[in-house]
Amino acid sequence: MRSLTVTEAMNEALREEMRRDPTVYVLGLGLYPSAGDSATGGLVEEFGEKRVRSAPMSETVIAGSAVGAALAGMRPVAELHLADFAFNALDEILSKAGKWRYVHGANHGMTLPIVFLQGIGGYVSAGAEHSQSPVALYWHFPGLKIVVPTTPHDAKGLLKTAVRDDNPVLFFTHKLLDDAGPVPDEDYLVPFGVAEIRRPGADVTVVATSYMVTLALQAAANLERRGVAVEVIDPRTLEPLDIDTIVDSVHKTGRLVVVDEDTQRCGVGAEIGAQVMERAFAALRAPVGRVANPNLPVPYSPPLEEAVLPSVARIEAAVLATLDSMR
Amino acid sequence: MEPMPEEQLELYTLMVRSRAFEERAGALVAAGEVPGSWLSGIGQEGTMGTICQLRPDDYLTYTHRGAYSFIGRGSDPGRLLAELLGKRTGYCRGKGGRHIADLEHGILGKSGTIGGHAPLAIGVATAIQIRDGDQVVVSLFGEGTSNRGTTHAAMNAAAVWRLPVVWVCENNGYMGNVPAPMYTAVADIAAMAPGYGMPGEVMDGNDVLAVHRAAAVAIARARAGNGPSLLELKTYRMRPFGETSTDLRDPREAAAWLGQDPIERFRRRLLEAGVLTDAAAQAVDEAARAEMDAAATYALESPLPAAADAFEDLYA
Ligand SMILES: Cc1ncc(C[n+]2csc(CCOP(=O)(O)OP(=O)(O)O)c2C)c(N)n1
Ligand SMILES: [Mg+2]
Repeated sequence: MRSLTVTEAMNEALREEMRRDPTVYVLGLGLYPSAGDSATGGLVEEFGEKRVRSAPMSETVIAGSAVGAALAGMRPVAELHLADFAFNALDEILSKAGKWRYVHGANHGMTLPIVFLQGIGGYVSAGAEHSQSPVALYWHFPGLKIVVPTTPHDAKGLLKTAVRDDNPVLFFTHKLLDDAGPVPDEDYLVPFGVAEIRRPGADVTVVATSYMVTLALQAAANLERRGVAVEVIDPRTLEPLDIDTIVDSVHKTGRLVVVDEDTQRCGVGAEIGAQVMERAFAALRAPVGRVANPNLPVPYSPPLEEAVLPSVARIEAAVLATLDSMR
Repeated sequence: MEPMPEEQLELYTLMVRSRAFEERAGALVAAGEVPGSWLSGIGQEGTMGTICQLRPDDYLTYTHRGAYSFIGRGSDPGRLLAELLGKRTGYCRGKGGRHIADLEHGILGKSGTIGGHAPLAIGVATAIQIRDGDQVVVSLFGEGTSNRGTTHAAMNAAAVWRLPVVWVCENNGYMGNVPAPMYTAVADIAAMAPGYGMPGEVMDGNDVLAVHRAAAVAIARARAGNGPSLLELKTYRMRPFGETSTDLRDPREAAAWLGQDPIERFRRRLLEAGVLTDAAAQAVDEAARAEMDAAATYALESPLPAAADAFEDLYA
């Protein structure tokens, strides 16, 4: 099988979907001229400037015009670069894309097939306003599907599914997910709402997305040497969430740790932890552990950044803590 | 070019029907039938001079104010009032209230954040451009809404992309009870147009034929692929900000604007030109009132949604 990076896999997904469906178009800052090493690189040569739109520097325009175009029958892919920048378009994403079908549209069969691409993640000394991973913020709001791919395989298959979905989809990719991985030659889709068990284990369940899966797998490998078998679950999409796979795993392990590269409170760990308590309280043999950022911005200097963001060591400690508090 | 006499009569009838709708909606608010409120466009019906020129396949984004957008596009007054009353038969099954979409008539929704529709309007225009269509998007906004960054960002983008948009500012001189000089640095919103590389024109918004003339040029320009324009209609709102709001404006000002009522002015003009007779004008008034009474009856008699309906429609 071929090996592609996440960026290359996404580029291929967009190219295939744009060939398949003339209503698909992409827009964002600086899409051309481009050096070609981005998800949208090289698309303008094949599809022209109408369908590959280099936008003015306004996230409001990028996201808002995507909503308008979707209302008028198009399938826009809005490249917002960093999630930090997308805050400028929250009204468009949360209150237009997320709500308009519900509020106005059901009578008319209104659909809002939009993909909002956002980059997330720290660990690269990019500073507080270029390092955020505010996935849980969007998860809090109704009407938005949320995709957080980890592998190149999933990035391609999930992006194609996202483009074909009739609802708004937020698609988050981490800055550090650039290792190449196998991607099939043939056309395929990865469905939403199906978690992947990245590593099976009987002692403790760890739920992680995106780059946190990489850290969780390292922690699991280290813990195996100490005789602890960690099961790493990658939900791949948070909305819809495959809670069944997580609950089944907790029934087996009795212990859960959720890893999330975002401020801890009101975060992904809080939500998944609460859902597991509602669904499988009796199975839990220890309090649900959370590894996330303290309630601080992501600082610049490497030792400071390491102190704030989740690490392999903190995941290991959280897993071991669930084994300590046996009941 | 002046519209033909029959077109003028149609335009006049649309304005009268719009006002009759507003009056009916206001009466329903006063009677306690509306769970929310209605923001009346009475006095600003000159805007119809723009809306009446749209083709059925064109698009319109509207503001929080006025019925002329819907009446001008051909929406069903019964379903509009039903929506306002929160009824299941309304345009949005009672989920929108005065935030209404009528997709069939190119009204794709109402932004609850004022100014939120401007970036959406350029998206609709983008869709037209990608499809090589010749439709246009008319996008209404108040002079207060001109303060928002969304308005400015969208105007710049529309000009850069040469999109088929006609920006129509209804300048009624107030944002709520606050007069425009307290929040806008220039007297004319159209003065912003050159900054975005597009033509801008100020006109008497209560002279519907002047509005019609300027809009014809702007719409033709957009349709031909020559990009956006900005029209500024100077007007006055003859009702409080909302039907349940307190009006703190100087009443003498309102009295002075009474003589500028766009419908009265147009009526006088049509009578003088012999296009309309007193009897015909009265017939138009009566028909409009009867139509809106019937619409209100439909809305009042329509069923409310069931609680279970709240759980539907989120996703396609
Ligand atoms: C983003 C946002 N801020 C504030 C409001 C509340 N609001 C609704 S209408 C309005 C005044 C708008 O003034 P203008 O654009 O001049 O329109 P007019 O009411 O005069 O027709 C305000 C402040 C809102 N709906 N959205
Ligand atoms: Mg105003």
